[in-house]
Amino acid sequence: MINRDNREVVKAGQAARVENAQTTERFDVPVVVDTGSCISGCHICIDSCPVDCLAVSPETGKAHMKFDECWYCLACEIDCPKDAITVKIPFLLR
Amino acid sequence: MLSAIETEVDVIVVGGGSAGSTAAIRAQKELPLGRVLLLEKAHVKRSGAIAIGMDGLNNAVIPGHATPEQYVKEITMANDGIVNQRAVLAYAERSYEMIKKLDGWGVKFQKTEAGDFDVKKVHHNGSYVLPMPEGYDLKKILTRMIRRAGVRVSNRVMATRLLTAGGRVAGVVGLDVRTGDLHVIRAKAVILCCGASGRLGLPASGYLFGTYENPANAGDGYALAYHAGAELTGIECFQINPLIKDYNGPACAYVTGPFGGHTVNARGHRFIESDYWSGQMMLEFYRELNSVNGPVYLKLTHLAPETLTEIERVLHGTERPSRGRFHAGRKHSYADDLVEMHISEIGLCSGHSASGVFVNERGETTLPGLYAAGDMACVPHNYLLGAMTYGEICAENALAYARAAAPAAEAETAPQIESERLRLEAPLKRPRGIPPHQYEYKVRRFVNDYLQPPKTAARITHGLALFERAAEELDSVSADGPHELMRFVEAGFIRDCAEMAARASLFRTESRWGLYHYRLDYPEIDDDNWLLHVNLRKRPDGRMEALKRPLTPYVVPLDAAERRSYYQIRVPASPAPARDQELRS
Repeated sequence: MINRDNREVVKAGQAARVENAQTTERFDVPVVVDTGSCISGCHICIDSCPVDCLAVSPETGKAHMKFDECWYCLACEIDCPKDAITVKIPFLLR
Repeated sequence: MLSAIETEVDVIVVGGGSAGSTAAIRAQKELPLGRVLLLEKAHVKRSGAIAIGMDGLNNAVIPGHATPEQYVKEITMANDGIVNQRAVLAYAERSYEMIKKLDGWGVKFQKTEAGDFDVKKVHHNGSYVLPMPEGYDLKKILTRMIRRAGVRVSNRVMATRLLTAGGRVAGVVGLDVRTGDLHVIRAKAVILCCGASGRLGLPASGYLFGTYENPANAGDGYALAYHAGAELTGIECFQINPLIKDYNGPACAYVTGPFGGHTVNARGHRFIESDYWSGQMMLEFYRELNSVNGPVYLKLTHLAPETLTEIERVLHGTERPSRGRFHAGRKHSYADDLVEMHISEIGLCSGHSASGVFVNERGETTLPGLYAAGDMACVPHNYLLGAMTYGEICAENALAYARAAAPAAEAETAPQIESERLRLEAPLKRPRGIPPHQYEYKVRRFVNDYLQPPKTAARITHGLALFERAAEELDSVSADGPHELMRFVEAGFIRDCAEMAARASLFRTESRWGLYHYRLDYPEIDDDNWLLHVNLRKRPDGRMEALKRPLTPYVVPLDAAERRSYYQIRVPASPAPARDQELRS
């Protein structure tokens, strides 16, 4: 038990030493992929992205926005041969 | 342990944007295939400041419209006298040749009915803007020319440090941002074309990647040059742009100006006579924005419907094609609504202002064998055409250097490679460290808090202490794979650039370049003491130092009145607004 009088001193010391904890968060992301028309094995949009925020989703085998790092430049949307991508302006800017 | 892949070439070009494309194409012309290596952090087809296209050239020096000497004078005035005129002149003299080359490559420029280039006036004095209403294919065309030249390209490989030996550049350490492989590439000459430090300030939207510049341009080149021992200059002359609020792309007076569009205050009145992006203009913009007359808008509502259709076609299709989607989302139209503008986050970019690696008219940095071109190299207000022209200038001089130089001693680079390997492995091994994006957010928030002009010594000093602390905090950042490792390396570059911006700003105890270096504690321009370059370099003990470098003697002299002409920008007091002129809500 920590003594009430020196509790903050002890806790401040622990806060400086203890390992970090992490959580996961939900994000609304700008790049929306129509998995119906996106082709498995095609990497065109993933190659196009200047910030490398797209990847193949392990669940669907189709492209998706993996990292919330979009410049809404539309390169992926313009280059997609199946017109499967729609880019929305990121919510924070919309 | 990261596996290392070793290669040796004659010339490495780092970055495949506008400058890197022309540098690689030009260098490849005179070397066997495979001897020029173009390293690109993204993929050359959509990399650099321009992922899609561009709506015009901002600094075309075309016979009959302007002379190289007029252009040098204009840029000397725009940059308050702090220019290496020889470097600006070297660009201006090759500007027209480069335009003709691009024209031959299929880049579409606006022409008159007689077939001449249709140059417009946007600057204070001369005419230098050449519209490209169909410039949406620029990046595709550059990529095609890279392929046609047979340039060897390594996509998704990011340079993390330069190698040096015997006081010269000796190569590049690269990271494959998909596989995590380490690349050691040896070369006699390296041309850095890494773009602006565009992920420095935090956009007001709070979105880390909602920057004015392509956020892939994180200041890599500034940090690479600095750590290799090259000098940087004009870092205190920040890039600050008048942008569409929240969207953070250019409102684009350069495109709309020739059609009759202009900047107005909330009373609907013009307050600046020229919309050319200079520090002096930005200071008036800042004052208006923060006065009773703010906010500030781009006004197009008075233009004819067919003119608006043409403006939309250009602005929604070339440089930032998602712009139309932004306006549509807000239910705004150019016919009925003014476009609200604001002041961007700060960045470092010689394409727009003057902060960059210290280079001369041959593109040489202060480190033998190392060249720099484009937004990251200090040739003030150099823009897209300057990047492409200096790409070629650097390539020609790097080729000559590589031909004459003996191979670098490999032994000297071994400890550098080992230390870089350890630096890159550490975040992968660290369990549950700070995510790179959180680290980055904090550094960039402090950039806004302490470096966004107006500047004061007290605020900058606070910021500097936090950036020094951030250097230590970088040791607590972890990466869960190659992608996060790229962000970790970028976070270090961003921190380096923040320290540069603070140190250079603190050192220059005067105000200059309007808002770019507006010091509340030294509000006046002081030519007697500060008509010189402030350079930064890494000391042998690893600390950053600022120093003074004299200006290269002018080749195009200016008289006293011309020197200050960019300050004659405010429209004389306009009459009180009539009721029907008041802003629509």
